[in-house]
Amino acid sequence: MTATSAGAPAPSRPRKPPVSRPLVAGLLITAAITVWAAWEIDFTLRPLFTDFANGWVVVEQFLHPNWAYLGRSWNAWVETISIALVASFFGILVGLLLAYMASKVTNRSNALYRATKWFLAVLRSLPDVAYVLIFVALVGVGSLAGILALFIFNIGIAAKLTAETIDAVEPGPLEAADASGAGTFSRARWAVQPQILPNFLSYALYIFELNIRSSVVIGYAGGGGIGQLIQVQFARFNYENVSAIVISMFVVVLIIDQVSQYLRRRLV
Amino acid sequence: MSAETASPTRTVRPEEPGKARATIGAIVLVLLVVGGGWLSNADWGKLPDIFTEGWRYFYLMLKGLVQNPFSEPYSEYWSAALGGMLESISMAWIGTMIGAALSIPMGFLAARNVSHPVVVQVTRVILNAIRTLPELVFAIILLLPIFGFGANAGALALGIGAVGTLGKLTAEALEGIDPGPVEAARASGAPGSAILRWTYWTQVLPEVLAFWLYRFEINIRASAILGIIGAGGIGSVLSQAFRYREWDFIGILLFVIIVVTVLVDTVSGAVRHRIISGTGTSDAKVEQDAATL
Repeated sequence: MTATSAGAPAPSRPRKPPVSRPLVAGLLITAAITVWAAWEIDFTLRPLFTDFANGWVVVEQFLHPNWAYLGRSWNAWVETISIALVASFFGILVGLLLAYMASKVTNRSNALYRATKWFLAVLRSLPDVAYVLIFVALVGVGSLAGILALFIFNIGIAAKLTAETIDAVEPGPLEAADASGAGTFSRARWAVQPQILPNFLSYALYIFELNIRSSVVIGYAGGGGIGQLIQVQFARFNYENVSAIVISMFVVVLIIDQVSQYLRRRLV
Repeated sequence: MSAETASPTRTVRPEEPGKARATIGAIVLVLLVVGGGWLSNADWGKLPDIFTEGWRYFYLMLKGLVQNPFSEPYSEYWSAALGGMLESISMAWIGTMIGAALSIPMGFLAARNVSHPVVVQVTRVILNAIRTLPELVFAIILLLPIFGFGANAGALALGIGAVGTLGKLTAEALEGIDPGPVEAARASGAPGSAILRWTYWTQVLPEVLAFWLYRFEINIRASAILGIIGAGGIGSVLSQAFRYREWDFIGILLFVIIVVTVLVDTVSGAVRHRIISGTGTSDAKVEQDAATL
């Protein structure tokens, strides 16, 4: 047995499969888009070598943060966290309601389901900064504009994530609810909500985190909080102060991130 | 027997579980939110303005939208909006490419089943640090002083921001691969580079490609944000228009942003689903991974 198998000529190596045409086409298209996009924005890395000395002056200031300034940023931090808290709370509540409407599991009306999906897609397509600009125009510069902008922004995210969770619930409790003649509301409240609650709470924490992270953007556009402080200090070229704020932001986000990760792990 | 089972009185209804914890939690939450509403220094008295002013501005925006797009000044508005959007998409694309290219080595270095534990820890710290800070901060600190204002700086900031999330996701995908092919390649004496290329990389490629596309969708929104500090794209045009309160122009800009973003999301989402559908990983999992970073 072994002799015969050893004596047989080695099987010829299988031929290499031909290069797949769709793959080549895809790569060519990607390359073409990349070249065109780079040309569109005048992409270059040259300033990194030629103008590095100019930039280094600024970077050096950043490397020497003015720690004394941190005490004066306390109020702005309280403002930022308050904005995030209020906006997440109300955004998530409304988001939950819309999530029930944006899932076929809980929404029995097809037309309403489609309309909600559409509405949420439009809501999510605008970046948070656009909402800040709109609300600054409506209610003036200040944290109210920030709260309202984040509120609208949070609705979109909360509804999308929660609706996907609702789509995936166990059908058992739903059947039980249907069998006992539950109405749309009690079906959602007693057959669906207990199932999605852990995920929903974890999304809530995630959204709060996200809101703290976007506070720079919010403030920059006129929505109050720590971002506004960064904008003012940046405009006055006080890079040492900006640096101190950025480092404090890093620490705050990291702490909130860790706490919320711990809570999320316990929830899910 | 049957008489016995039927005769006993109905069993007592079990007591409802205590609600104390939930109630305390709810009270604390409400106190926090009310406190937040107080401490945020928000001028709540201006809240009704949304309804009084809002309709007026909304009407003005709609009015700009329904004007003949080939008449002055609306033709200029439309071309500025489309040009800005095109620049934003280019920024997002280049940013994604930079992020993707840099995230490949970072992902391998941060994967526990590929690299040395010390290297993994160091790389993870770097990736986490990048993920913590918003792109705007990179643009402000590192790029504007050197690259000046413009789309180039914006694309680089998006690229750096993308490395954080893409690197982490790539590492997690690498850690989840099937070890069989790796063992087979090792047994046949393949060199380290071939093992990485043909057993690790081929297994994670579909998932990683989906993450890249997902990041591209995110970058389109982020590029608008960078626009407000002067990094080009539709965000710059938008904040200009708001500065001069040109509501008809704003209406056109918002319309273009919404339509193009929904369009890109749809196309990119379809491609993502197609890429993922051939693999064992479920589509929903990738989506959730990417969404809740």
